[in-house]
Amino acid sequence: MPVQALFVRSPPHALTFGQAIREHNANISGPPQAMSAPPIPAPLDRPALISALRARIARMERAGAAEALAARGEDAVPLTQAIDSALPWGGLPRAALHEILAAEPGAAAGFAALVLARAGGTVLWIAPEPDAWPPGLARFGLSPARLVLVRAPREQDALWAMEETLRCPAVGAALLVAGELDLTAARRLQLAAEAGGVLGLLLRPDEDSAAPTAALTRWRIGAAPTESQSPHEIGDPAWNLELLRCRGGRPASWRAAWHADGLVTEDGAARATPARRRA
Amino acid sequence: MRQRCCRPPRMGMPPGGQPPEPPAGRQKPPGPSIPLGRGEGGAWHALPEGHAHTPLPLLAPLIAGSGEAAASPARVQGAAPPGRAPQPQRRTLAILLPRFHVERLRLPGPVAVWAQRGPRRLVLAVNAEAEAEGLEAGQALADAQAILPEVMLVPGDPAGDAAALERLALWALRFTPLVGKVGEDGLVLDITGVEHLFGGEVALREEVLTRLARMGLSAVGAVASTAGTAVALVRAGWSGVVPSGQEAATIAPLSLAALHLEPALTAILQGLGLRDVGSVDAQPRPALVRRFGTGLARALDEALGRASRPITPIRPPPEMAVARDFADPVVTREGIEAALAGLLEDLCRALREAGRGARRMLLRAHRADGDVQEIAIGTGLATREPKHLARLFHEKLECLAPDCGFERITLEAARTDPLTGVQDGLGTAGHTARREELAQLLDRLSQRLAVWRLAPRPSHWPERAARRVGAFEEVEEPEGWATRPRPVRLLRRPLYISAVALLPDAPPSLLRIGRETLRVVHAEGPERFEPEWWRDRPDRKLRDYYRVELASGARLWVCRVGLAEPGEAARWVLHGHLP
Repeated sequence: MPVQALFVRSPPHALTFGQAIREHNANISGPPQAMSAPPIPAPLDRPALISALRARIARMERAGAAEALAARGEDAVPLTQAIDSALPWGGLPRAALHEILAAEPGAAAGFAALVLARAGGTVLWIAPEPDAWPPGLARFGLSPARLVLVRAPREQDALWAMEETLRCPAVGAALLVAGELDLTAARRLQLAAEAGGVLGLLLRPDEDSAAPTAALTRWRIGAAPTESQSPHEIGDPAWNLELLRCRGGRPASWRAAWHADGLVTEDGAARATPARRRA
Repeated sequence: MRQRCCRPPRMGMPPGGQPPEPPAGRQKPPGPSIPLGRGEGGAWHALPEGHAHTPLPLLAPLIAGSGEAAASPARVQGAAPPGRAPQPQRRTLAILLPRFHVERLRLPGPVAVWAQRGPRRLVLAVNAEAEAEGLEAGQALADAQAILPEVMLVPGDPAGDAAALERLALWALRFTPLVGKVGEDGLVLDITGVEHLFGGEVALREEVLTRLARMGLSAVGAVASTAGTAVALVRAGWSGVVPSGQEAATIAPLSLAALHLEPALTAILQGLGLRDVGSVDAQPRPALVRRFGTGLARALDEALGRASRPITPIRPPPEMAVARDFADPVVTREGIEAALAGLLEDLCRALREAGRGARRMLLRAHRADGDVQEIAIGTGLATREPKHLARLFHEKLECLAPDCGFERITLEAARTDPLTGVQDGLGTAGHTARREELAQLLDRLSQRLAVWRLAPRPSHWPERAARRVGAFEEVEEPEGWATRPRPVRLLRRPLYISAVALLPDAPPSLLRIGRETLRVVHAEGPERFEPEWWRDRPDRKLRDYYRVELASGARLWVCRVGLAEPGEAARWVLHGHLP
């Protein structure tokens, strides 16, 4: 779908950015005809100007979410220090949809459980056949007392359930296990999440044909080989976290391990390698 | 008679646990409730003197027979001092449809319904046209065909008859909330306290019969003080209204058909010269019982009003109900939604005044052609918010088929719970509001989809570690779950795989899943799970679970079923994905 892809990639940024620059320039210099003295060229602090404009665009883009977030009074969901600093929001933001491509089902489910647990409150797991198992999820802090499972065999039911859930401010986070998802559906979910201030996760199989979606971030979660040397020990869970797409941020990847009730990023620094393929 | 209105007693009360309220008198304001005792064996008669019972909040649940449904709180206590309620005077309308099996088919011309009885084919029922030609029930089919060759013959359909009677009983709920079926072709309606809505007992009986006639059903109706008497009257073909206290006198000269006895017993009684109810009753009771058994005595007592005959209602009487009638049948979805909104508002107002919230609601739509359709919704927490309830109903309104339009729509709160201390329209602040919002979300989801929580169970067997409970139940996390390495996803259908191990009881070194062959790099285990002998089937085998990591880094939870036996290939199963 070339038309859709084009539409998603360029226009919102380009348009708003251009408008904002023009507006900003007008504000700095003021109306020229009203000034009697020759205009003094404003000192041009380029980096500061650009960062101010970026912040402004960010505010304009998620105007709906700001309200919901203010009502909730909760911060972004923290992961690790290294990842949080790479994300423009200082963590995974609420009132947004995040897409997780599961390169390995166990690792992706573990990462999703971690995010759901840290989002707090009641979380919903919506799937055609929910196979989440609380004894394993409890390790990441997701208690069965907070988990509600919804079985939605038909895709339209699943999307409806996810949208209703994302619009409900009483929910902490929601996860939808989905296959293909078209742009309109994802956009609807994103708007619903902005309305309710709920963190939405979209767990999808890792396919090459994964079309761009309206989600704020896209991750690919795979399993990382353990560092254990013994063949009789598998050690801590280790994952390859690839941030493929991030609005307002750069793609990056980390190797993270679940060690002693906490997520630990290896080397403490992001390997800012470009993603294997553009997504 | 003093007037008092109340909600009908709640379901689940022990018989006689809550004495019924006295019926409403003639001058009751519009919109009364119908007091109904639903105990066993005439519990509604039993109201001990001085029984210290506090009347429940008085409400206006049923607004029947009026075009404009104006709910007025019918708190008409008057001068009635509490604690000394009078004996309720119940009135019952019995309807018998002698030709129901034929007339429900709505076929033109002479029609006869027949059935095989042993080696014979007998006519079960005939319609009026066929009867005029000389056909009658009980005739041999060949005789009937010889008398009237053009008669249309329809084989009997007992299941269809029962379903049709059930539908008719649902239709009769428009007159009173307590309707029961009698035999295969009769209905009994408890009309205590509703007759004034139709202009008196006579007018109510007329209305019921007229409406039945409009549906093409010929019927006999009688009103009496007890259900047994009313049924006996219509069985004998007597039609009309018996004033209270004159039941015995009315029924005495009627034929033995009123008692609905076995044909053989009727024949014996007639052979003895006992041709009417009164003469049977005049016989000395001990001799009668000794000779004919207690069945006859019981039938006599019921018919004469000495023994009570409980009505088994087709639907439990609702705790509250509102209804609207429409002069023009409602056909469009917009019309139905508008009607529903009005009804919900009325019912929620009544609930608020009672300090209760609905847990189960039932929308019943009466179609103009006599068909009745029902939609039920349930909520996890008691609620009386019209907007939320309307959303729940909207999901299901498409189940309705308003062919020729609905002429009456009833909304019932079938089950309610106490709900107090909630201020309406308080906004979405605070913990209670959050809980309410979550409950509403779960309600909406569970109208369409399966929603549940997983509660821990004291079992180490993986499939039994968690069980499904309702979305509104409290669940606690057991100790020790967080420390064990367990899969995050447990396959609902475990996958049979094959594996290669160096020794029969060694960890696997190679897994074959489908067509893929995967090398195992690390393997932890075994962790042995013994079957739970106290609840398992005896041949359940133990399992040795291994946590394995493949060369790709993927981690799996695989197990070997049973002990390794010489000469037998081990069975391996993939049971879950480890994080």
